[in-house]
Amino acid sequence: MTTAPWPYLDVHQSRTHEPTPYELKLAATLEEVFTKDGHELADVVRGLNARQVHAPDGAPWTEESFRTEMKRLGA
Amino acid sequence: MTPSTPLSTTACTAPSADDIYATGLRNQWHPVVPSRFVAPGAMRRVTVLGEQWLLFRRSDGALAMLADRCPHRGAPLSLGKHLGDRVACWYHGVEVGTDGTVSSVPGLPGCNLEGRKLVASLPVREVGGAVLAYFGDERHPEPVDLALPDPLTDPDADAFLCYAEWNVPWRYAVENLLDPMHGAFLHHESHTMYDGDTTAKFRIRETGRGYFFEKTDQRGVNFDWVELCRTGADWVDLSIPYPPSAGPGGPFGIVGMVCPVDRERTGVFFWRYRRVQDWQRDTWRFLYRTVIEERHWEVLEQDRVMLEAMPADADQRENLYQHDLGVVRLRRLYRAQAEQQAAAG
Ligand code: FES
Ligand SMILES: [Fe+2]
Repeated sequence: MTTAPWPYLDVHQSRTHEPTPYELKLAATLEEVFTKDGHELADVVRGLNARQVHAPDGAPWTEESFRTEMKRLGA
Repeated sequence: MTPSTPLSTTACTAPSADDIYATGLRNQWHPVVPSRFVAPGAMRRVTVLGEQWLLFRRSDGALAMLADRCPHRGAPLSLGKHLGDRVACWYHGVEVGTDGTVSSVPGLPGCNLEGRKLVASLPVREVGGAVLAYFGDERHPEPVDLALPDPLTDPDADAFLCYAEWNVPWRYAVENLLDPMHGAFLHHESHTMYDGDTTAKFRIRETGRGYFFEKTDQRGVNFDWVELCRTGADWVDLSIPYPPSAGPGGPFGIVGMVCPVDRERTGVFFWRYRRVQDWQRDTWRFLYRTVIEERHWEVLEQDRVMLEAMPADADQRENLYQHDLGVVRLRRLYRAQAEQQAAAG
């Protein structure tokens, strides 16, 4: 057994993978929508669609598809 | 003053109040490392309260914490071999089970070490992704009750643990948390603490488990209050508003704990939590992993840089003012407990 190096300083401790370009874009757009359009689910879906930031399959978001995608990415 | 007692001739002198104050209070639970640092079937050497310990996890996940000292001639068990449910010392092969009992002396079968519990083992629990262990002194080997931080057991709250190792005495890390006013200055250029008044009046409000140190004239704007909780482990709870970009769910909270590693080093544990459910929870978790965690980290680094740069005699040459009452109260509490533990030892 090797002695653990000191200090442990790791920016990212919650990630399971490096974010994909799609995830980075979605996150940035979500922040913008939350800032400018509101915090309701309807605001989010409308805001993402208005900015043409869609799910990987290219379809516009619905409340259901957004919930499902967040469950996948945030669980 | 009591007359000084003659120096003990044994190697094991009871720690003085200064030792305890410097290396961490006994007779309570402390966090050690994140659980993920010890995978099933693995072991890890850790320093806590200035002493060497071995975390040992069986392949079925059960965790044990043993003194890192072979009962034969004192070699570190952490250099030995993981045998599934016991560790074999590398030096002469003595095998020790997870409760500290010598299970075998391969070089001399039937040797009277076999079957004796010769290695200290500490009670451990895993909480919110961290290993907690009970560090009792000789007079208090049985673990005290541990009431877990409520945000970590609340089903409506969701938490991420952030762990970091700092080259600071453990008390500085706790004092920093009992000093909310630094938020408006040190973290002024941050995503969460840019707002709020830079002048404030504080008060201490006693609770059944510790005390609040809080601003009297502002709440919910910056780092405006903190609660010290002493529930078998010491932890703090505090809350900081998120900007609108973080989405629904209101402020995030922090449950903070520290591991006193030795006189100069500390492991800090910050559980960032938020009261969110359903899609709001999932969205926060997605944003946290993708963009927010890094911003939280930058704030924490500001604390580390400041605390690591503090002179060693910082707490002996101060000029305190009203904002430091929370720190003064904390020191008085810890100092008194260190004195008490040294006197009883
Ligand atoms: S010192 Fe460990 S077996 Fe001898
Ligand atoms: Fe801070």
